Amino acid sequence: MKARLTPWKLGTRRLREGAVRIVIVGLFIMFVLVPLYWVIVTSIKPSKDYLTVPPVWFPAEPTLVHYTAALFSYRGLQGLINSLIISSAATLLSAVLGTMMAYSLARFRTGGQHLAFWVLSQRFLPPVAIVLPIFLLFRGWGLYDTHIGLILAYTFMTLPLSVWMMYAYFRQLPKSLEDAALVDGLSHWQAFRLVAVPLAAPGIAAAAVFIFISVWTEFFFALILTSRYAFTLPTIFRAFLGFQGAQYGEACALATTSLVPSIVLGMLVQRHLVRGLTLGALRG
Amino acid sequence: MVQLAPADILPPPGAGRSSRLVSAFADRYFKWLMIAPAAILILALSIYPLLFSLWVNFVNYDFQIPGHDFVGLQNFLQVIQDPLASSALVLTILLSLTVVAIEFVLGLALALAMVRTFRGRGIVMSLLVMPLFISPVIVGQSWALFLQRPFGPADYLLGQLVGHPVNISWVGEVPWVYIAIVIADVWQWTPFMFVILLAGLAAIPQHLYEAAELDGIGGLQTFVHITLPQLAPIITLALTFRLLDAVKLFDIIFMLTGGGPGTATYTASFYLYQIGFQQFHLSIATAGSWIFLILLSVVIMVLVRRLLRVEAA
Amino acid sequence: MANVKVSALHKHFGPVHAVRGIDLDIPDGEFTVLVGPSGCGKSTLLRTIAGLEEIDEGRIEIGGEIVNEMRPRDRDVAMVFQDYALYPHMTVFGNISLSLRARRMAKSEMEERVGRVADMLGIKSLLERYPRQLSGGQRQRVAIGRAIVRNPRVFLFDEPLSNLDAQLRDEMRGEIKRLHQEIATTMIYVTHDQVEAMTLADRIVLLRDGVIEQQGAPLDLFEQPTTLFVAGFLGSPRMNFVKGRLEGGPDGVAVKLNGGGPAWPLPRGRNPVLANGAEVIVGLRPEHVGRAGTGPAAQGFARVEAAIELVQPTGSRSYATFKLADQPVMAELQAHDISHAGERMCVDINLRRVSLFDPGTGKAL
Repeated sequence: MKARLTPWKLGTRRLREGAVRIVIVGLFIMFVLVPLYWVIVTSIKPSKDYLTVPPVWFPAEPTLVHYTAALFSYRGLQGLINSLIISSAATLLSAVLGTMMAYSLARFRTGGQHLAFWVLSQRFLPPVAIVLPIFLLFRGWGLYDTHIGLILAYTFMTLPLSVWMMYAYFRQLPKSLEDAALVDGLSHWQAFRLVAVPLAAPGIAAAAVFIFISVWTEFFFALILTSRYAFTLPTIFRAFLGFQGAQYGEACALATTSLVPSIVLGMLVQRHLVRGLTLGALRG
Repeated sequence: MVQLAPADILPPPGAGRSSRLVSAFADRYFKWLMIAPAAILILALSIYPLLFSLWVNFVNYDFQIPGHDFVGLQNFLQVIQDPLASSALVLTILLSLTVVAIEFVLGLALALAMVRTFRGRGIVMSLLVMPLFISPVIVGQSWALFLQRPFGPADYLLGQLVGHPVNISWVGEVPWVYIAIVIADVWQWTPFMFVILLAGLAAIPQHLYEAAELDGIGGLQTFVHITLPQLAPIITLALTFRLLDAVKLFDIIFMLTGGGPGTATYTASFYLYQIGFQQFHLSIATAGSWIFLILLSVVIMVLVRRLLRVEAA
Repeated sequence: MANVKVSALHKHFGPVHAVRGIDLDIPDGEFTVLVGPSGCGKSTLLRTIAGLEEIDEGRIEIGGEIVNEMRPRDRDVAMVFQDYALYPHMTVFGNISLSLRARRMAKSEMEERVGRVADMLGIKSLLERYPRQLSGGQRQRVAIGRAIVRNPRVFLFDEPLSNLDAQLRDEMRGEIKRLHQEIATTMIYVTHDQVEAMTLADRIVLLRDGVIEQQGAPLDLFEQPTTLFVAGFLGSPRMNFVKGRLEGGPDGVAVKLNGGGPAWPLPRGRNPVLANGAEVIVGLRPEHVGRAGTGPAAQGFARVEAAIELVQPTGSRSYATFKLADQPVMAELQAHDISHAGERMCVDINLRRVSLFDPGTGKAL
């Protein structure tokens, strides 16, 4: 006869499983947090604490001096402003254009599978393959190292994200509301503006946050398409390559300045994370 | 009885407006007008550049050599004959497979550990997904800082763990440099796997497990016979997304190793960047990216088509 | 107010031929119900009339005007949807007045009109609420209010009651009928529910596989179905079908059931043009099979002995199933005519109300 689980045995099994869970999750949280903590704590450490063994985990005299240095000596402020302008504009443009395209794809099956496939493939194109010719074209068009150029490039880069997230969103909204609007005497555009968009607003907001984060954290396009004028925050980190001159504090101050806003925004849309990561393919 | 009088008959909407013809036109072609702006942008920034670069493939477009002479397949030959190009490709493949495998296993373990609700789960979730919102450049830079020799905390912490001082040159020596790259990538992208697999696990109907428990099926068997098959489409999706992103690996390399020591950590993207934007052999880099693109397209075709089917189901 | 005329209409969805040549002429002010099983094309037909689906072939006229190319907004029709399709981000007032706003009506006139309609439907106190704050029946009223507020030429209803529970459905059905009596506008109503079709319609159009199977006044369809399908679709419980064959007799034609039993002489005037011995399907409605009285069977009735196998009481009536010549038949009995299964009794079958069908074509004889 097969041994039955006595309550007691069941209890120890649960307990053991629980312990394993806690260990796995706990270790991974340490793994995530320790480097992050190191960056943040280094950003407020006086320079004399950098090169000590054992390392200083809790600086006795925290300072903000690296922040002022990063923002003003390394043009961090300029990068921050550029990043804000470019990310906001690209987010707005991508969300608007993406929502429009997604609506047409979802409601009218425009282009059928082919168009949808084409947009999705864009997401997986390696940037290095596409950025070279864009670089050459931008030089020819006078868009190299301009805000507008980078905004357009980022709008293009994030369109698959906005189109697919909104496509999935519109597909789950009932079509009859827009039908009712058409019969009520609205044009297609009015039905879209007055009925579909307000209903999709939460989805659009979530998509916009994901677009913002992916533009805010993007490095490669900015590296290649900008230089001294329209550069964004992430590109400044080139200055700290290899840490010659040991500007640890400045590097970490800049890193903290960049990662805090995107993490805060990310927390706001955590509920939609699965949709954001899979372009709406999964609802989560 | 309420009667709506015949006088109540309303004029058609939009009657008497001067823009009526325009609005009728816009309404008729509405679905195409909605697509047009996005499609034009995509065309302008992907199809047009690709066609342009198709031409660049076959001419000399080198900032160091003037003129645009037709050179035939010369640019392609340059790439194919460059041993660094093939080693970069091999490294790209090996690195992406390694990181995706590790991230999958860790992500699945985390997802299994987190699938039950408990107090404080929300906060733990937030902590676990933080790396997803951080720029890969900063990830590379942070790990460069963390792994610094001799003053970074990594060597010190390891020394405490093993009981004697450790002095690993994380970014200066093979194989440590590969391990450093893998660690940084795993740090950033394991949460991706975790989040998707967790959503997949949560979507498995609870009654399947209840039925299994009634049938007396053990824990491991439940995992093999219920969890894995139910999770399979989501695993496919997660692996596809991750793999297609992993082969683009650039930012972390750029900040952490700079391709070094020597050229030991040149990935495909980093190689093309070096050729094109550091040495300005633009036509060679273009030819190289076309080769990379064609190789990837095959993978994209297969995987994305399958993805669309998973989604349709 | 307008008539609706549909000619030779075809509609495909990819490989599916959803509407296959429909001709329909709906006079002004009539209440027409399109009914049929799911997938018969009734909703598609309605949506093409609304202009929500483009048509592949044929012609649609509203008030004598061809509207094939006309947008929904210009057709001056109103529609009530199955899921009500109320705009969740607008108040009841906003929902009802949207069509007026689309026509740029002055605010005072708009409020006056919405007020009148809200009065008519008894939802005046709900105007400031949002749809999620309403019950199912209230939502239904708002959806109807939205349709009638602009006094359209034609009303279209797409299964408007199917999301309501049974009691509310009966109530709203009555209200829609009353509404039609009051405003006397052309109404086209789609449902899969034959009770709704029977109770509401001036005319029923029964569709099957994208074509019209039969159309006419509800009682005509009920009493003189032209096909087996119509006979089986209308009426609840369903008409009984038993197989048999025709036999010539001294007093005209008789029908003999398969599996034995007597031959039933058909009443005068029912002389199907079929050869002797041809197979037929005999259709008997349960209400035409009843408990026999004390005397002998009346003229035009056939009496059989039945061993009741199953009894389904509904309160006012009890449905009893028995085998007639080895084929199951249901009889509608008074509640106290039968107490339990296993009982034996005599039943009378009203031969004057018997329908005969050709088993090959399904057509009535």
